Amino acid sequence: MKKFAAILLALVLLVTLSSCSKTDDKQAMLKIGIIQFAEHGSLDNCRQGFIDGLAEAGYVEGKNVTFNVQNAQADIAIASQIATTLVDVEKCDMICAIATPAAQAAYNYAQDKKIPVIYTAITDPVGASLANADKTNPGEITGTSDLLAVEAQLKMIRALMPEAKTIGILHTTSETNNTMPLNLYKELAPTYGFEIVEKGISAGADIPLALDALLPQVDCISNLTDNTVVSYLSVVLEKAKAAGKPVFGSEIEQVKLGCVAAEGIEYLELGRQTGRMAAKVLKGESTAANIPFETVANSFLYVNKDAMAAYGIQLPADLADRANDVLAK
Amino acid sequence: MILGILEQGLIYGILALGLLITYRILDFPDLTVDSSFPLGAAVSAVLTLNGMHPALTLLCGMLAGALAGLITGFIHVKCKVRDLLSGIITMTALYSINLRIAGKANVPIFGTDTLFRNEFTRALPAWISDYSTVLLILLITLAAKLLLDLFLKTKAGYLLRAAGDNASVVTTLAKDQGSVKIVGLMIANALVALAGAVMCQQQRFFDISMGTGTMVIGLASVIIGTNLFKTFSFMKSTTMAIIGSILYKGCVSLAISLGLEATDMKLITAVLFLLILVAGQAKRKKVRIHA
Amino acid sequence: MLEFQSISKVYNPGTVHETLLFQDFSLSIEDHSFVTVVGSNGSGKTSMLNILCGTIPVESGHILIGGQDITKMKEFKRYRRMGRVYQDPAKGTCPTMTILENLSMADNKGKPYGLTRGTNKARIQEYKDMLAPLGLGLEDKLGIPVGNLSGGQRQTLALLMATMTPIDFLILDEHTAALDPKTAEIVMELTNKIVQEKKLTTLMVTHNLRHAVEYGDRLLMMHQGQIVLDKDGEEKKNTKVDDLLSIFNSISIECGN
Repeated sequence: MKKFAAILLALVLLVTLSSCSKTDDKQAMLKIGIIQFAEHGSLDNCRQGFIDGLAEAGYVEGKNVTFNVQNAQADIAIASQIATTLVDVEKCDMICAIATPAAQAAYNYAQDKKIPVIYTAITDPVGASLANADKTNPGEITGTSDLLAVEAQLKMIRALMPEAKTIGILHTTSETNNTMPLNLYKELAPTYGFEIVEKGISAGADIPLALDALLPQVDCISNLTDNTVVSYLSVVLEKAKAAGKPVFGSEIEQVKLGCVAAEGIEYLELGRQTGRMAAKVLKGESTAANIPFETVANSFLYVNKDAMAAYGIQLPADLADRANDVLAK
Repeated sequence: MILGILEQGLIYGILALGLLITYRILDFPDLTVDSSFPLGAAVSAVLTLNGMHPALTLLCGMLAGALAGLITGFIHVKCKVRDLLSGIITMTALYSINLRIAGKANVPIFGTDTLFRNEFTRALPAWISDYSTVLLILLITLAAKLLLDLFLKTKAGYLLRAAGDNASVVTTLAKDQGSVKIVGLMIANALVALAGAVMCQQQRFFDISMGTGTMVIGLASVIIGTNLFKTFSFMKSTTMAIIGSILYKGCVSLAISLGLEATDMKLITAVLFLLILVAGQAKRKKVRIHA
Repeated sequence: MLEFQSISKVYNPGTVHETLLFQDFSLSIEDHSFVTVVGSNGSGKTSMLNILCGTIPVESGHILIGGQDITKMKEFKRYRRMGRVYQDPAKGTCPTMTILENLSMADNKGKPYGLTRGTNKARIQEYKDMLAPLGLGLEDKLGIPVGNLSGGQRQTLALLMATMTPIDFLILDEHTAALDPKTAEIVMELTNKIVQEKKLTTLMVTHNLRHAVEYGDRLLMMHQGQIVLDKDGEEKKNTKVDDLLSIFNSISIECGN
């Protein structure tokens, strides 16, 4: 027992010492802590984009800024612990939080210490209480939202399927990030002459049955960034193919896997946009509290020509100009 | 960092007290906790948003947790479903109920006063306000511990311990061991839900996924605590569980600080867990040889 | 009066392992009598006790106590009037709880187990006085967990716990079988003393033929779910261990052993 306690104490001391020495060596350096909520392609791109964006603005890693990157592995308790470490021990000059729970945990600790928090990949900052209803910021916190380009997506579907009347949407009821885009779909669909048919599921295993019910009622399917549905994309694509209904994605990866097309977010670009905002705060041009949160400046059109051919869908000339063929190398 | 470890460790210490009842006293592998932890948080978040005093929301959270324990106990005792399965059934059902209570998967309470941030804490001088959160958590955890200690010394507490120790004694004392188990599960889940509610007040949001792995954390804390301090006969098992929880959080924090890949975190936890179990067994053997 | 009325009990009904244990089994026991029960393994002795206590259900028949039918009564409710000591010394006590806690808990039987203090400090001296005459030194070990005691000490404690509060029936299920001969004698003597003092109606299953002959006022021998020998009064007093042995042997030969 005594031995164990001694080892534990030694380890704690070691960590404290090592973190102390860091502060001594690099006093001129700005420290930026990054909390990424989970390991995920899009979130990884956000992080890389953020670092690139800062570099473009003159904050280069190793030169005048160091990054302390932590991943919470989708565990909220760990996100919380990372946040205290970054705030109290590392005493970071800024915290970048990727995805909603990470941002909430970071803001919880950073708020009192006046450490600015810059978030990204948050669908609904207002719903997450990270922004006020009038789109101002509640404190030293701002960032970017990855709210889907729903309007662009509806426009695109109308252009590709001029006869279509109904769009089916599958969504997992427990995923908060679905609420906003789903409401937007329902709000905007009539403008483009569509009707939305939604089917809620509680787990991936429900997807085949939900599709059997949904497919006969709709002309096509459009995906949200629903993690469960995206994991089961192969099932969705197969069932839809058998029913002869095309599936539209919400990001590039889905189109690569076989969705016909998507007006998607380029997360690398979203990260860069966030990095530029962070640079403004670091330079002292503005404060996090005074920069309103931003949504994606523009969406990218991704198309899968093989999938289009399979459904006999033609790409109109005006869209062809800005379409990115995911199969082209 | 120490402050963060203490805050988290003490909150999860309340959880460990609950697990101490189910795992150590009742010998019941209760998976309900994975859902009763977020249940307490959901109740606390929603009631706080509706203007209830945060301290009262903790009590309501506990009540909800007790109800969850009652359901698991009822399924196990009255419907004669195996212990593990009864917990799984309640856990699964509560997932939906938690979502219903919260209304959505993530409920932030950044905009309102919480237990740890209100008129009173804002008025505190700076030198103490840094510590007000951890002190308040310490107070809640100690209160929970002392009440549990007291309870275990009452007649009802004796019966609860007997039910886990040797259920046939409860029967020969002309008491229904089923009811005793149900009461135990209710108290345990009330404590777990209290931990969830305090967690929600401290981190200022509820998230449906916050319960994942709760049982493992609680169990690890209890086992770490009771194995390390086994030879300290003066120390109460409730104290051991709370210290175990702080040590567990300390190890996680250490892993983060040492820059270990988050991907490997669960593996490291498992190895640590095993080491402590084996170390505890080796110690027991030694004692036996000496005796 | 305790009565078994045409009890039938089948184990594993509807399977290939189906075995009929009792068929139309009847037995009455007078109040305040001390009945010893012997019989070979599988003769139904312990099953009879389990049926009486409600540990196992019966297919048909009735169990009556003082004319009241308790066949459908839950096991734990029956123990309001009964005490039971098992063969395994570990079964009658709680190992992680101290002697004092075990005694306090047993002392409260029949009263509500509420939120009042578990141990009544005023009773501690009485517990010590109760333990001291046993000569086992338990009176000085009140704070020790029962799991640290020897089998004999535990069994003595279990016996005291079972008979601390007012009960009418004492059920002893080979309660000296797991003890060394010397301890077995001590526990048996104590049992007899308690039974006589409290005038308990007692059913004692035992493999020790000498105990069966020496103690009690009625002796039963069971075989294949039936009572093959029933002696009381003078008849019982005149029965010797050798008599029982010879009957045992003749039954065994019948069975081809």
